Amino acid sequence: MSKILKFNLNGNPTEVKSGDADTLLEALRDGLGLTSPKCGCNRGDCGSCTVILNGDAVKSCTVLALTIEGKSVWTVDGLIDGDKLHPIQKAFHEYGAPQCGYCTPGMVNAAVAFVNHNPSPTEEEVKDALSGNLCRCGGYKKYVEAVMAAVKGEFGPLPKGCDK
Amino acid sequence: MREYEYNAPDSFEHLFKLTGGAGAEVRFLAGGTDLMPRISAERDQIPYDKKTPMRIIYLGALGLDKVTDGDGVTIGALCTLSSLLGNEIVRSKLPALAEAIAEMAGLSIRNTATIGGNIMNASPAADSVPSLLVLGAEAVLRSPSGDRKVALSEFFAGPGKTAAKPDEVLVAVNVKPGAGGAAFKKIGRRKAETLSVVSAAAYVEVKDGAVAVARIAVGSAAPTVVRCLEAEKALIGKKISDDAIKEASALVSKSISPIDDIRSTAWYRAKVAPTLVARALAAAAERKGPAKSDEPVKSEAAGFLGRVFGKKGA
Repeated sequence: MSKILKFNLNGNPTEVKSGDADTLLEALRDGLGLTSPKCGCNRGDCGSCTVILNGDAVKSCTVLALTIEGKSVWTVDGLIDGDKLHPIQKAFHEYGAPQCGYCTPGMVNAAVAFVNHNPSPTEEEVKDALSGNLCRCGGYKKYVEAVMAAVKGEFGPLPKGCDK
Repeated sequence: MREYEYNAPDSFEHLFKLTGGAGAEVRFLAGGTDLMPRISAERDQIPYDKKTPMRIIYLGALGLDKVTDGDGVTIGALCTLSSLLGNEIVRSKLPALAEAIAEMAGLSIRNTATIGGNIMNASPAADSVPSLLVLGAEAVLRSPSGDRKVALSEFFAGPGKTAAKPDEVLVAVNVKPGAGGAAFKKIGRRKAETLSVVSAAAYVEVKDGAVAVARIAVGSAAPTVVRCLEAEKALIGKKISDDAIKEASALVSKSISPIDDIRSTAWYRAKVAPTLVARALAAAAERKGPAKSDEPVKSEAAGFLGRVFGKKGA
């Protein structure tokens, strides 16, 4: 069976037809054609499907789509303002953090949700916040360096929350 | 292919109408971090087996996500692990639980995973369970015939098996922290996003210089998280010392039956469990009772919380 799911995606009221057992990841990718959240393991391990749900980073493959009725979801697509990247995105780009890039959208969302809550973290805290995101290229160091640079304001002030 | 039917009842009256209906396998959904991957794996299977339809009942609309402090601490089953880590009552009164939660999975899983889900999934590696066991927690189960309380020590029957009947919903966990101190220790294969190789929690209450109450629980070393009664008995009446702790924790092997699996070996688990119990006992003895709520948490839990929440939570 399927139902109509209404929620807010990147600041826009959105409707999508969703199966009764579909994950949020399926609703975004298959239902809405939004392919920035990646399907890596589909079992809550790899973090490449991480999106921001009501302000917190969650793994969208572990969330049943219909449970987010009325909630707000942000993905990397909404964090970009016109052609201006979010400071975290800019930092990842400038620091050459992505290698193959598959884990990057999840890393961006995990990092943005985290710095929204904690705008001046320590390196240890950043590592903990990104611990649920696996990078098979092994590029963890650059991601952490890039987040630390972004929170120090190297790429402009961090916007408050996801809403621009 | 199996049919799935999603429901999000906002009252127990509605919920019990759904659990009463025949012809479907009823599954309760909380955070989904265990259940959703299982459903996705099932849907990926080719060829699809003909199975009874699954009725998914989401528990998120029932208001079970609160922590209250009265005669003991009552934790709503739908509290996410992150919300508990940030909760003042949990941090001040149940530091051993906060310690365990801080080491569970990673931030993005803790943001969705719930304490009720961790309990009802009944994994021997459930990290919230050893702390809850030594704190003498009880599960509150609700069914059409009313509420039933089951001591968590009587709750687990095997991997994935609990004392809850099919029409019973876990609504809360009651914890009455005693006058003693409790602590949790875990060994995983990495620092985050890992299931326990072995976990241990201990509760120690000292009266007139001697141990009056001791409770020890070990996870990932038997079909369920287990209490170690022999080791507990060995501590009673003793003064807390390195020797007393060593002697008692050696008896842990009498209560566990570890196996080889992808995470570790029976040999390693048998070796490391007593060590972990000894560390938990030493930390528990040092902690001496729940901190008063106006005192900041001065344990290693404070370090974890600082790491997880930064200035916001710590």
